Amino acid sequence: MRRRHHLPALLLAAALVLAGCGGAADGGALDGPATPSGPPQSGGELTVLEDGAFAGGWPTGLDPATNTTGGANVTQMSAIYGGLFRLEADDDGANAAVVPHQAESTEIADEGRTVRITLREGLTFSDGTPFDAEAVAFNFRRAVDAPCTCSPNWPLAQDGIATDGPRTVVLRFERPYAAVINAMPVTNVNWIASPTALQEKGEDAFAIEPVGAGPFTVVSNQLSSELVLERNPDYFKEGRPYLDRLTFQSIGGDQPAYQALLAGQAQAYEGLTTTPLLDQARSQGRLSVAVQPATSPYVVQLNTKAAPFDDPRAREAIYAATDFDAIAQGLFGGEFPVSQSFTGPGGLFHSDAVPGYTGHDPERARALVGELGGLEVELGTLGSYVAQQVMTALQTQWQEAGITVRTETYELSTLVQEFNSGNWQSMLQTAGSWDPASGVGVNFRFNADSPFSGVADPELDALFDQAAASVDPAERQELYDAAGARIAEQHYAPFGLAFAPANLAAPGVYGPGLTTLIPPIVVNSGVHWDEVWREPQQ
Amino acid sequence: MTAAVGGREPGRLATALGSPALRMVGKRALMAIPIVLGASILTFWVLSLIPGGAAQQLLGADATAEQIAALEQRLGLDQPGPVRYLQWLGGAVTGDLGNSVVSGQPVTPVLGARLAVTGQLVGMAFLISLGLAVPVALLAAHRPNHLFDRISMLVSITGLSVANYVLALLLVLVLAVQFTVFPAIGFVPMSESVAGNLQSLTLPAVAIAFPLFCFYTRFLRGDLVDQMQGEDYITTARAKGIGPWQVLVRHALRNSAFGLITVVGLNLGTLIGATVIIEQIFALPGLGQLLLQAINTRDFVVVQACVVVFAVIAVLANLVADLLYAVLDPRIRYGSR
Repeated sequence: MRRRHHLPALLLAAALVLAGCGGAADGGALDGPATPSGPPQSGGELTVLEDGAFAGGWPTGLDPATNTTGGANVTQMSAIYGGLFRLEADDDGANAAVVPHQAESTEIADEGRTVRITLREGLTFSDGTPFDAEAVAFNFRRAVDAPCTCSPNWPLAQDGIATDGPRTVVLRFERPYAAVINAMPVTNVNWIASPTALQEKGEDAFAIEPVGAGPFTVVSNQLSSELVLERNPDYFKEGRPYLDRLTFQSIGGDQPAYQALLAGQAQAYEGLTTTPLLDQARSQGRLSVAVQPATSPYVVQLNTKAAPFDDPRAREAIYAATDFDAIAQGLFGGEFPVSQSFTGPGGLFHSDAVPGYTGHDPERARALVGELGGLEVELGTLGSYVAQQVMTALQTQWQEAGITVRTETYELSTLVQEFNSGNWQSMLQTAGSWDPASGVGVNFRFNADSPFSGVADPELDALFDQAAASVDPAERQELYDAAGARIAEQHYAPFGLAFAPANLAAPGVYGPGLTTLIPPIVVNSGVHWDEVWREPQQ
Repeated sequence: MTAAVGGREPGRLATALGSPALRMVGKRALMAIPIVLGASILTFWVLSLIPGGAAQQLLGADATAEQIAALEQRLGLDQPGPVRYLQWLGGAVTGDLGNSVVSGQPVTPVLGARLAVTGQLVGMAFLISLGLAVPVALLAAHRPNHLFDRISMLVSITGLSVANYVLALLLVLVLAVQFTVFPAIGFVPMSESVAGNLQSLTLPAVAIAFPLFCFYTRFLRGDLVDQMQGEDYITTARAKGIGPWQVLVRHALRNSAFGLITVVGLNLGTLIGATVIIEQIFALPGLGQLLLQAINTRDFVVVQACVVVFAVIAVLANLVADLLYAVLDPRIRYGSR
């Protein structure tokens, strides 16, 4: 998954200059004028801004099998393809669950080794061709081999993708994989393209003008710049979508996007991360602000395979020297919660208190550093506003405990080089996702086989594998609790601020995920574009 | 037919072909070849030095080595760099700038559409900056160190101190958010609406033009004052009884224009650099935005194509500047000693 690199520092500086101050809330929160005057109404157009460095970049087009940035482009893909499943939640983000959308039902058998997905009856693509089991199986086979981190990590058995009648697709796995459905909305297998259109247009043209069965069809597509969509009259949900036209416009970051919203040039912005702007948006009260429930906390990964963190005392010293509560309060006004586990409060299997988690204890930290005869560490992170703020604060805290700290901000490519070299010491990263077994979260940070992990612990790997395989939520909770306790006991990596981006919308615009809360399944929340509507303009 | 024409006007044709200006244009065209080639080689080399290839950039930090290798193979990036460069060059010399390694789209039509936006933006920025700088510099030089001169100096120093992206955000805040006179983002093609087109480009053009205007004003004002105070031809003109404004405009400005033209020609590179960030802020689908996206995805074909276009524009701008010297001073004869 491509992570968001924030706007050039210059825009950030300008954002800070122009920003005001405002209040804050705990965890996910809704603010601003988001109360409709009546029932949803059909019609109207909406322009949605997306940060060019993340969701606003779709350089390889929008074919699920060739879009290499599919994880960042969930919003555009959902608008065009709909999705077999999607994450739904109450307006306040509670009771989130992955539910069938174009699929009708699922059945998990053989203790998680077989999954049967049955489609709704009578589905068609916007080109009029049938959206049936064969079409889905065709897409699954393309998607599993796709060059994208959004490609699913299915442990498929030989010929593991098959159909059973016109509406049922059957997946067979070599080992139990019960998290398959929860992982669907962030993987490219969720977006089903018309095989006929693909064949007729060819791959290159299809990537520019894709055909799906979602709420909207493509009018024009200027890669990573502007995507214009219009209402799909054959969409399977009657009376949906509400909007006649939906435009995704790429823009150079939070500050220009915020100003464009205030100027009335666009009506929504997804993924605001510059916290001073968030405060400003709240204090001005001209836009509705939905800070999504955090699912993915920051984690200080410690490389336990090399010095100095191959020594457990050095790791414990980092835990003792770190005060994430102070960072959350001091830098972000308590806006974002602090997590002790690898899933934030908005995600599944989150624990408020992990047994054995040793928190801030500066005296203990100083004693351990003394015992070690001093401690010098390198701390790195990817260049983003929040990460750099947190890294600087960590450096100060650690130095107060007698640890000598050198910080480094990496570009994407140099970060990967660091991980591949194995010479890194500590990295401030994000971990987790809504379901710990889906996406690129927990396993990437802690599995022994992952190049992005600093841990090689068979016991921990086994716990994660068993949790991903189990179909029993209670058992999964138990296993993840055990994994959290194991990480804490071994001081593998202190968790911290659980940050989530915010969505902004102009007055008179409403919709799930935009003006209500839906936990971000990986980075951004999945807006349900078919349900988004706009009050008629006066 | 050709023989007949040649028979009728051999002298004029030969004169035209042998004219110093045309010879200079030809010479410059030949010189442009190594310049553009050098720029493309340098670009390719610099891109190859940046850590991380297109596949890594597209897939992100969490991609596995297998995923990266698979994508490199799909994009044709598994071939050695020099081979890819020579393949690109082979197409480029025949006018085919190739297909984007990332999207597979042919680059030439994309480039054409983007160039139209950036060309108009740069043109408007030049018009605004020069259109204001010349009269302001004349007024300031007319009475050096008086009120207008001091105000213009203050404005110029302020303008030179403010980065154009900050100015852009401030312009949007005031003229798009507070007063909604201009749009904050987006581009309206001229084919859709001439007024809408000009409106959509005004703020970006002003954001680029204002620092240039400040620089040109100070530069031209300084040169005009020097001319007015120290040159014999000015004293002669005054002795002939020519009025101060006429001396300033008809004599001093003509001489000072040489320096200004040189600076404007050299500034083109800065101007193109400014479009990269300004197009991002205003969401303009121009060449600068395309170049930034291509660099971010390490799409060397698109980057090369953009660099070639920029190099050609730079060569043409300097050629135009040289030709303007001759227009301003007929004594200049190219190619003669």
